[in-house]
Amino acid sequence: MTSSVGTEGQTGGQPLGQQAEFLAEKMAEVRGEISKAIVGQTEVVDGVLIALLAGGHVLLEGAPGLGKTMLVRTLAQAVALKYSRIQFTPDLMPADVIGTSVVQENGDGRKSLGFQPGPIFTNLLLADEINRATPKTQSALLEAMQEKQVTVAHTSHLLEEPFFVMATQNPLEMEGTYPLPEAQLDRFLFKLRVPYPGREDLHDILDRTTRGAAAIVSPVVNGTQILEMRKVVRTVPVAPHVQEYVVKLTLATHPENRENLLASKYIRYGSSPRGAQTLILGGKVRALLDGRYNVSMEDIQALMLPALRHRIILNFEAQADGRTPDDLLEEIAGKVCAK
Amino acid sequence: MLHREKIKLLVPGALSGRACFSALREFWRRMFSGDPTQSHQNPISLARSFDGQPSSPELHGVIAILKTIRQRILANALLRGWAKGFVWMLAVLIAVAAVSAKLAGALLVIAALSAAGAAAVLAWSWRNRPSHYETARRLDSAAGLKDRISTAIYLGGMADSDGMIGEQRKDALAHLRKVEPRGFFPVQWPGNARRAFVLALLAAGLFAYRIHHQAPLISLLKSTAHSQLVQSILSPIVHAMEKDLQRTVALVSMKPDATGEETPRSDAASSSDDLWKADDKAAAEEQKDAADAGEGDQPQDQLQAPGSQEGNPSGEARQQENNSQSQEGKSGNESADDKSQQQSEQQGPEGRQSLGQSLMQALKNMMSNSPNQQSNNRAAQKPSAQGTPQSGNSQQPGATESDKRGESRGNSDAKQKATQTASEGAGSQQGSKELRKDQETHPVNAVPDRVALEASGFKEQTRMKVATETGTAQLADRGLSPQQDAVTNGAEQENIPARYRFYVQRYFEHADNGKH
Repeated sequence: MTSSVGTEGQTGGQPLGQQAEFLAEKMAEVRGEISKAIVGQTEVVDGVLIALLAGGHVLLEGAPGLGKTMLVRTLAQAVALKYSRIQFTPDLMPADVIGTSVVQENGDGRKSLGFQPGPIFTNLLLADEINRATPKTQSALLEAMQEKQVTVAHTSHLLEEPFFVMATQNPLEMEGTYPLPEAQLDRFLFKLRVPYPGREDLHDILDRTTRGAAAIVSPVVNGTQILEMRKVVRTVPVAPHVQEYVVKLTLATHPENRENLLASKYIRYGSSPRGAQTLILGGKVRALLDGRYNVSMEDIQALMLPALRHRIILNFEAQADGRTPDDLLEEIAGKVCAK
Repeated sequence: MLHREKIKLLVPGALSGRACFSALREFWRRMFSGDPTQSHQNPISLARSFDGQPSSPELHGVIAILKTIRQRILANALLRGWAKGFVWMLAVLIAVAAVSAKLAGALLVIAALSAAGAAAVLAWSWRNRPSHYETARRLDSAAGLKDRISTAIYLGGMADSDGMIGEQRKDALAHLRKVEPRGFFPVQWPGNARRAFVLALLAAGLFAYRIHHQAPLISLLKSTAHSQLVQSILSPIVHAMEKDLQRTVALVSMKPDATGEETPRSDAASSSDDLWKADDKAAAEEQKDAADAGEGDQPQDQLQAPGSQEGNPSGEARQQENNSQSQEGKSGNESADDKSQQQSEQQGPEGRQSLGQSLMQALKNMMSNSPNQQSNNRAAQKPSAQGTPQSGNSQQPGATESDKRGESRGNSDAKQKATQTASEGAGSQQGSKELRKDQETHPVNAVPDRVALEASGFKEQTRMKVATETGTAQLADRGLSPQQDAVTNGAEQENIPARYRFYVQRYFEHADNGKH
């Protein structure tokens, strides 16, 4: 278990204000580097950066060919982190992800069981098409994503910080897939939908990818700086009415809440407290990226869909009526705002 | 009571003065305290406590701006409340000026209420005035400051332990300088000011009118009440209501031992017996008669009982019967008594007694409940026996002796001419005809027909009801009005065409023959 993160942060002794400014500048640079390879998709890129600074993980959902894997690879290059990719398949085993104990021979010729780390021991892990693996393999990520450690043969192995999982899944090909369990989904800070590019973006994509050479992405920040930025993020203040709004929004997704008929009608399970934590933490990062030092209602509203859409489970009536989590959440947010 | 329950909850099984005091203190603290550490239920009201907290010197300018904005918000709230109250006051003033004959007292009351309302609006607005925090929230929302000012106010009382609060404060102040906060909160006229102005003009005009005139609505009502149109509309309704009331009183005060009530009942019973026991030829004749009656006088058939419906003669025949009955009524009642007695003797005694017993029992129950009404109604029925218009209505079974005689007489005459049910129809025509005579003196000619139809229909339905044993027995028990009951029974039998009865009769006859 080694650490390849930079040994000395550049923002350690500076005041928080300067650190916040430094964070905003660096993230703007990272955004610029990513935009060299990824055309458009600004919301997805912002969501990924917010999740990276908030210390969460991201589930990217989109059709094939929209640049999900390229985004992750470009981000890994821009933040100078170790990067691993696991292509999830039905025959993938947990040991293929987290590692296993193997017989090793030391210099004396003595043999012993030693732990061989899997590809999960990295900083930036791309779990490509995560819903193609069996639930057993998917569950191998649970401990790693939440507690930043893996346990093999009664021995826990800490993962390197920052540990950032970016998983992708294809919503079209559902045959032969294993939908992620709710516990696994709840581990992801955001579920980002990768949309199709627009007309201008498509022109730009064609110009970049069919003419010249591939863009070279330079590293802007390192792991240590990211960890320092995470500390700065947590100092951003939140006004009481903003926090109250988050609480109301989270409670409004619960079907037990009799005040909200929409939730009791269409939602089987509401958001967990992780949803509220996500909203506050993501709001803090978004505020800093926007050059502010406080969380606003606008931040919460902007992050509501990626933070809560995978945390509510619809019932059969919602599916029969063709309701989606996004439109339900928007309606709920509208009612909460009206109150 | 609520406090006592609370005390019981706090100290189960004991009720001491100290417990009372602590419960009251707890209740008061929960209701009126603004401590933000207690609860997050209402952060806006709780945030009012920030007004009294010391804030950073950097924020004094912001707080001064917020005070100005808060005054404007308060002024707008007061103007809205007062305008709304003013509109209501003007509406009440206009109503009072239009109705009340004396304005001085009403004006004093309205003035006092208006003053109290204005004071209440002032107190309510002051009580619910926005705090600095709430004002900052409104300023953030109006100026698009993304909650910078409200967060700065919230953090204003905190020591700048880490640099983020100071940075946030600087950022908020920097963005506040870029906007003109007072411009977002001007003092505005309330939305219903125009409505209040129009109402004020209307009220002023009305009061100027009232200086030399009386209340316009009162004079309008008086002139309307004396108009011929209203009289022509209302007087028949009043007459009909009076007669309905008299009929109800007469029905309640029926004598249980009356002989006249058995006569129509026995008629109906015999007619129903004849209906089911008649041979094929008689059934065919009844069917034919029913068809004729339906073609001749359809609306009246609908009001009449089915027992008499099939035996109704044509309109001319009934007219002749009515004429003869009216002449006989003039000649004397003694012959009618004899005929009714003969008729009652001719009919089967057993069915009559059973029906009569059930009816008498029901009427006894009814009379025992209202003895006072009975005595009053007897007094009221005396003039009806002398041939007044009430006599047509008093032909309900068992109303008075003279009525019973008249009714039995009509039935006996009709029996000599046609069937017994036809005589019932004649009896009803007699009542309606007397009503027409009474209503000829009325200025409106169209309404008495309607009244007569109701009277005849009511009488026929009652007679049919007497003939039906179950309906008669259920009359007193259900507590329904006799007219509703009769209509129900009539609807039950009216829907059975004669050919179906004939078919059923044939069917049972064949069945009996097959068994034997």
